[in-house]
Amino acid sequence: MKMSLTVNGTRHEVDVRPTARLIDVLRDELGLTGTKEGCGEGECGACTVLVDGKAVASCLMLALQACGKEVTTVEGLAHGGELSLLQRQFIAHGAVQCGFCTPGMLMSAQALLMENPTPSADEIRTALAGNLCRCTGYSAIIAAIRAASGREADRADGSA
Amino acid sequence: MAVREARTMAVAVPTTRDDLVVALGRATTDTRIIAGGTDLVRSLRVPGDEPDLLISLGGLRGLSYVRLDGATVRVGATTTFTELQHDPVLREHGLCLALAASTIGSAQIRNVGTVGGNIANASPCADSAPALVALGADVTTVDGAGHTATRPLSEVVLGPYHTSLACDEAIVEFSFPALGPTQRTAFTKIGSRTAVTVARLTCAIVARFDAASGILEEVRVGLGAVGAVAFRVPEVEEALRGQRADAEAAALLAEGCVRAIGRSIPDRPTLPYKQHAAVGLAYDTWNALGLCPPCAPAAHDDRPEEVA
Ligand code: FES
Ligand code: FES
Repeated sequence: MKMSLTVNGTRHEVDVRPTARLIDVLRDELGLTGTKEGCGEGECGACTVLVDGKAVASCLMLALQACGKEVTTVEGLAHGGELSLLQRQFIAHGAVQCGFCTPGMLMSAQALLMENPTPSADEIRTALAGNLCRCTGYSAIIAAIRAASGREADRADGSA
Repeated sequence: MAVREARTMAVAVPTTRDDLVVALGRATTDTRIIAGGTDLVRSLRVPGDEPDLLISLGGLRGLSYVRLDGATVRVGATTTFTELQHDPVLREHGLCLALAASTIGSAQIRNVGTVGGNIANASPCADSAPALVALGADVTTVDGAGHTATRPLSEVVLGPYHTSLACDEAIVEFSFPALGPTQRTAFTKIGSRTAVTVARLTCAIVARFDAASGILEEVRVGLGAVGAVAFRVPEVEEALRGQRADAEAAALLAEGCVRAIGRSIPDRPTLPYKQHAAVGLAYDTWNALGLCPPCAPAAHDDRPEEVA
């Protein structure tokens, strides 16, 4: 099935099975391997991307469901070779250890900050409830998001 | 493998109701209808189980709404849980459904999963089901011949992952009598953790209450995840009608829920746990209604016997 997908502001034409998941197309067809697959069942959040600005589990969504919508992956956070404020705060706070959960954490946090630029700690926890981390214990992640909040959320789509 | 590869799968993404009818007209028993896909996508990946036709409801923006139509609340089938959770009309006139939506999965799942998909999938643990049951919801469908039909939810969900929906029939709307200022409603859930959890037990209550006399005029109780389908508990509803809204009513509610669960899953190994948990959940739901000062079960009376 031929379909066109807009990812990080760029339109792509792909030819995949209708049951191909969004994560499969992002990783295998478009080479955007920043998005990770942990559980494949909607439990871990490693595969989180934004579709029309909302956090979704790309392992539970077919690529065809994202046709005609704006998809943003972790690769879309940095622009001009410079990491976003949120990404820089993750580094500054030691919120990254093995890094497997990080793309999903960043995208859930990005969705939150776009909707609510000054979230409380509880609102951050609710937004991250679907993201599991085996390494950090979460406190550093929450601190990083707090540090990135209250300032203008970086544009997620990579466009200026 | 070759056979599977050779099988062609058609895809329909209708954008209008007429297109939907045309697509449904081509449906067979191997056809799958996908709304949010948060339940369906996993099963679509089972090799050899691919549908002949996949109908995606994602293009039908007109099926995503909550509106007040006279004294009736209408909820479009593809309204997402995030939309339900925050919808002002639903929060005012059907709060227990908004609360149920807010407990589902994670933000990632609520942003995509739909109420129509939750019901059509017919999981016994579907969080929206007890709320819709307590609200007395009807389900409106359309089929491949263009016929529209409306029937009570209890006639749609028949058992675990089993509905009365024909293969060419799609849910388009839920409707229920709008709750007014004399009605209170609450929803509570027990799972193994607070997010991304499959419900172990859910309870929704709708109560009409006369503030002057403190009397419960009508109570509807929906229980979920304790049987094949979410169900009402008429025995409790009758016991509570005409009762004063006080600690005694809370105790009647808890006892009735425990008995109903005993009847629903008599042979399940989880029965003692669920009955024990139901007492706490019934009190939590009762207290959330805010009809009287918070009350708690009498100490010790619901504890399982200690094993020596
Ligand atoms: S890989 Fe999608 S939620 Fe775990
Ligand atoms: S940093 Fe290792 S899983 Fe989160």
